[in-house]
Amino acid sequence: MVKMSELIRLDNAEIGYRAPLLAPLTLAVRQGERLAVLGPNGGGKSTLLKSLIGLIPLLSGALSYPAGPPPRVGYVPQAYRADTVFPLTAAQVVLQGRAARVGLGRFYGARDRALALEALAQVGLGDKGKSQFRALSGGQRQRVLLARAFVGEPELLVLDEFTSDLDPAASNQLLREVSRLARDAQVSVIFVTHEVAAAAEHASYVAMVDSRRGVFEAGDTDAMLTSERLSRLYGQDMHIERRGDRTVVFVETGA
Amino acid sequence: MNETVSLHDFFALFGSSIAASAVAAALCGYLGFFVVSRRIAFVSAALGQISGLGVALGFWAGTFFGVDPHQHMPVWLDPVVMALILTGLVSAAMSSVNRIQRTTSESAVAFAYLTAGALALLVLASPRVVNEAHEVNDLLFGNTVAVRSEHLVELIGVALLVLVSHVFLYKDLLFVSFDREMAKTLKLPVTLLDLILLVSVGISVAVATRAVGALPVFGFLVLPAGAALLVVESVPGVIALSMVGALLAAGAGFYWSFIASLPTGPMMVMCCALFWPLAGAVRLVSKRRA
Repeated sequence: MVKMSELIRLDNAEIGYRAPLLAPLTLAVRQGERLAVLGPNGGGKSTLLKSLIGLIPLLSGALSYPAGPPPRVGYVPQAYRADTVFPLTAAQVVLQGRAARVGLGRFYGARDRALALEALAQVGLGDKGKSQFRALSGGQRQRVLLARAFVGEPELLVLDEFTSDLDPAASNQLLREVSRLARDAQVSVIFVTHEVAAAAEHASYVAMVDSRRGVFEAGDTDAMLTSERLSRLYGQDMHIERRGDRTVVFVETGA
Repeated sequence: MNETVSLHDFFALFGSSIAASAVAAALCGYLGFFVVSRRIAFVSAALGQISGLGVALGFWAGTFFGVDPHQHMPVWLDPVVMALILTGLVSAAMSSVNRIQRTTSESAVAFAYLTAGALALLVLASPRVVNEAHEVNDLLFGNTVAVRSEHLVELIGVALLVLVSHVFLYKDLLFVSFDREMAKTLKLPVTLLDLILLVSVGISVAVATRAVGALPVFGFLVLPAGAALLVVESVPGVIALSMVGALLAAGAGFYWSFIASLPTGPMMVMCCALFWPLAGAVRLVSKRRA
């Protein structure tokens, strides 16, 4: 049954580039939900993500938007993939997030520039507007890209392993900021991650994907993040423990 | 003998060549930013060869209709029109080159470069166009001695079309060049913008090649922008420096080739090449000061 609060819905969808990666799947992203996509490398997480936001056409099945028109998407790419040849300042990179709002063939206005600076300030880089984007640290670049995603006033924020280049402390801090910003702006979030603890802390819904074993499961975070399911997903014994409001994950390394 | 030529006579003789070189330099200097930053330098080289093939085919086709390529001819047989059409079509095809997965996009560009170059030479080997071989040779290697006024008009027309359309599309072309994936998620017409950029490069290369030769056109497209990226930290700055650099190289190359009685195209390219050690030195000094 379709719920009216669903932003995006895949029904009996076969995803992949030429051949389907998985059996037909059904998945919905609801308004205000934070969906984590977990799975091993090469398991089809990014393909699922791109299929959900319409970047890759479905091989069969349906992609629909029950809540209205397709949501505005703010995208933060996997690690750092933006090009360092371009001599752009942090503010200029953030401004690009306004491109679709401004429209093709039109010019950025004063309001767009003000919003870009405001978005930079929101991610703690208010003083870096004139810094060269390529001269920033990995964490700062990710914040700039996050600000760019937010400045377009998205209804859905899509994060593709965007903290994978960061150390655990920086990664956790950035994810907390994303959660705060998304909550404040009432934005739904889909994030692809390898960090099970981050999924436990920040996601309300979890999808597990491994195309090589034909695994696709989705459900509420508490129901999905069990030792048994994680061990099956990653093909290795894993244990998950909840200690107060924190989650700890152990991976068996063998004798 | 050169000393006996007055400035007035010099401009009377070479005015249209100088103007064509300047327009080609400014246009290619601008497009050079996108060519270099998008790493499609050899796409532009391949387009130069394809343009040369178009011209050769134009001469060849004209012989079947008894057309003298140096006289007025129907538009559909004009070698420049042929070059424009062929280059435009191949530019459009090349906008899909990054979708190739089973082999490298470089090899696809090399395929276009080599095939066009070889075909142009084969067409020129035909006895029907043997009298025009020197002209196509000048086209490919550049020897700007006498640009006809109609070629200058074509070049100015294309330059205006490209530069004016890019004023409006600059923001979108820059975004797509910098982060294609994000642009796609924002529903920007990425494929259309790629097509516009490559066709801009294609038609510019076609008309500029006809006017000043493939070698200087490739030089204007790649060398000033590459050097400017080494020393300037803003996109408008890179574009401005690249355009000014290409213009200076065109002027200096033209002047020195006249003084030393050397081919113009290669002299222009050598002047462009000088920007690289210059930019390297500036960068070294600024790094030491920092």
